Amino acid sequence: MDRLIPGLRWAGIAGLILLAGVVGAQKESANGTTMNVPGAMPNVHVVSPLANGQWTMPAGDYGNLRYSPLSQINTTNVQNLRVVANMTDGIPHGHEGGPLVVGSTLYMVTPFPNNLYAFDLSKPHFLLKWEYQPHPDIASQGVACCDVVNRGASYADGKIIYALLDNHVVAVDAQTGHEAWRTQVGDIHFGETTTMAPIVVKNLVYVGNSGGELGVRGKLTGLDVKTGKVQWIAWSTGSDQDVRIGSDFKPFYAHEKQGKDQGIKSWTPGQWKIGGGTIWGWISYDPELNLIYYGTGNPGPWNPDMRPGDNKWTVTIFARDADTGMVKWAWQLGPHDEWDYDEIMENILVDMPWKGQMRKLLIHPGRSGFMYVVDRQSGELLSASTYEPTNWATGYDLNTGQPIEVKEKETHFGKYSTDICPSSTGAKDFIPSSFSPRTGLVYIPAHNTCMDYMGTAVNYIAGTPYLGASVRMYPGQGGYQGELVAWDVAQGKKVWSVKEPDLPVYSGVLSTGGDLVFYGTMDGWFRALDAHSGKVLWQFKTPSGIVGNPVTFTGPDGKQYVAIYSGVGGWMGATALPDVSTDDPYAALGVVGAMKKIKTLSPPGDLLYAFGL
Amino acid sequence: MKSISVLVCAGSLLVWAAGCHRSSNSNSVAVNGPAITSNPVGPVPGGVQDIQYPTNPYMQDPVALQDGRRLFDWYNCSGCHGGHAGGGMGPSLRDPVWIYGNRDDQIFDTIAHGRSKGMPSWGSKIPEQQIWELVAYIKSMGTPEEPDPPVEPAHEQMPNPQQEEKPSVATQPPAAETH
Repeated sequence: MDRLIPGLRWAGIAGLILLAGVVGAQKESANGTTMNVPGAMPNVHVVSPLANGQWTMPAGDYGNLRYSPLSQINTTNVQNLRVVANMTDGIPHGHEGGPLVVGSTLYMVTPFPNNLYAFDLSKPHFLLKWEYQPHPDIASQGVACCDVVNRGASYADGKIIYALLDNHVVAVDAQTGHEAWRTQVGDIHFGETTTMAPIVVKNLVYVGNSGGELGVRGKLTGLDVKTGKVQWIAWSTGSDQDVRIGSDFKPFYAHEKQGKDQGIKSWTPGQWKIGGGTIWGWISYDPELNLIYYGTGNPGPWNPDMRPGDNKWTVTIFARDADTGMVKWAWQLGPHDEWDYDEIMENILVDMPWKGQMRKLLIHPGRSGFMYVVDRQSGELLSASTYEPTNWATGYDLNTGQPIEVKEKETHFGKYSTDICPSSTGAKDFIPSSFSPRTGLVYIPAHNTCMDYMGTAVNYIAGTPYLGASVRMYPGQGGYQGELVAWDVAQGKKVWSVKEPDLPVYSGVLSTGGDLVFYGTMDGWFRALDAHSGKVLWQFKTPSGIVGNPVTFTGPDGKQYVAIYSGVGGWMGATALPDVSTDDPYAALGVVGAMKKIKTLSPPGDLLYAFGL
Repeated sequence: MKSISVLVCAGSLLVWAAGCHRSSNSNSVAVNGPAITSNPVGPVPGGVQDIQYPTNPYMQDPVALQDGRRLFDWYNCSGCHGGHAGGGMGPSLRDPVWIYGNRDDQIFDTIAHGRSKGMPSWGSKIPEQQIWELVAYIKSMGTPEEPDPPVEPAHEQMPNPQQEEKPSVATQPPAAETH
């Protein structure tokens, strides 16, 4: 009871505002989304409805803001947040992604074997309603590069739709837990897996493949939401026809207009067939332009001397027609990548003033250490500035869209290039940022890790790693390895940050209308910061490292909740798992040298936590 | 183009050399057929104690260990099990855990026949004596005989040079730094 007293004390000051927020939320909670963002900065507009009670797609919204206007939990009461439910799935592997909330049910997809749990939010402790077990091929575990993770699901057409590690997409009836359809979109015998969270636009489900370290040719598959039937495939390499480049293709930069079939011609003969460019991150959608946006992964193998040329369209941002999959524009951020800088990161879509003019922005916090701001209509790069120590390039030429690379940080066959920052794991990895329209800040989960990198000889043997590099990583200079960065988009600079001494920040971020920023640390702290100042207002220690994405929702009782996974794993987190030993700094594709401390700081875990007031 | 063919040539030579290095009457395949061993399934009734498990003909042969180390990269073992077998996609081979046993013949069988979680069956691709060389290398890990053992990069201990990030850090309010 006494917990209510501080709330009452605040009621006089904030009560009216709060009440307005709650009423607004209830009014629009029929479909659990809203375009209305109370308190948004002047002229900052979202491009699609925000999660406002439910959480029906991986990022909460098509624009990938990971922002919810819900404000019951806010800076005045967050210190009262407590555990209202926790669930275990018994699978001590990386719990990337986050749960979904549809109506009064919370859905959780587990790491391999990719079971789906439905929890009843109308029952105390959120009791289990049903469990669906898809039984993917167990051999798929052996071709998963970076732990047996899954990054989440989408809700559409009454179904929960997600990808299994063994390259099947399943649709499960959200009410009954019965499988509606299952479609194969890849083959583990070629080293393919599927780990990303599909998104659904109108009647199409989009899903990409993983396996850039196994000679997989990247592709995005569009499936019919009703039947699961494949409608089209858009490859990342190969002929224009395969890439779905047609007469509509209007890239901004001359570098992307070098004639036909650049997806073949920018490679040594045949190399494009095993050249990577996989799609294992996040997809955004702009309903007004009817375009989807996503980035592609690294070229393969990692030894750049084995693949002279630009290696199109790896490390590229694509804008595609949402219905046909045809490319509208493409921009290769990293031509002929030499550092494994996949750019599959989130693309945050927002309309806001840029240098005095309203622009349709695409904000891409890059693995390469650069924060890219792009005009999403044209594909023009507006700005690229570093948000963590970065020395492979000094910047980007905005006239050509090309990086200005540093000669001694190039990598080659047979010789270590040393002290390259960031490491292959990036200044951030796939773990998604959040943007708050109330603060104009992007909250970036970042790392400060550097590396030595040497190209090595490698054979292509289908279904085995096609790596071709010896990499060793270590913490960067400055006495910290992780950092939650608050980045002012309009000003193009870091305004504050919260640093972690020993481990990267490897969890997604959520921001809310309560002016809170939620995220987790790899040693298991789940935190709420003040979205304006970065002050830590509340934190809770979960048993295992957090590599998942927080979500927030309104329960059937009208109360706001926040949920997060606690279960370390993934590429950097794999060092915490018993299968990896720390006497080999080259293990786990080179991350172990930077991650040794995690063995004592975070045991493996398998939990879902829900918090409420 | 040039560099690629050079690499492939160098690589083929390497395998060829390793393959020819040891003459063997059945050089080519151990196939996906019967296991290399014909061990009894379990204890033999009647107090039989002297089961002869096949052992590695190349154990502790330094040339074989070097070959094994090279083959470990060549057949992409290192991509899964780690640059020096500390683990990653596949389990560590440096730790004391042996899911399928650590006798020479058991490791041989694991390589030749594969395992269910995704270890490929290499018996049709890797000649028998090369598998034994891999077994020799794997069993040398962590011992003084291990060829090319993993070494820590020196950089961790290096003093902080000028390479630092932009002054934006200085603008952080102290509250955000309290960790």
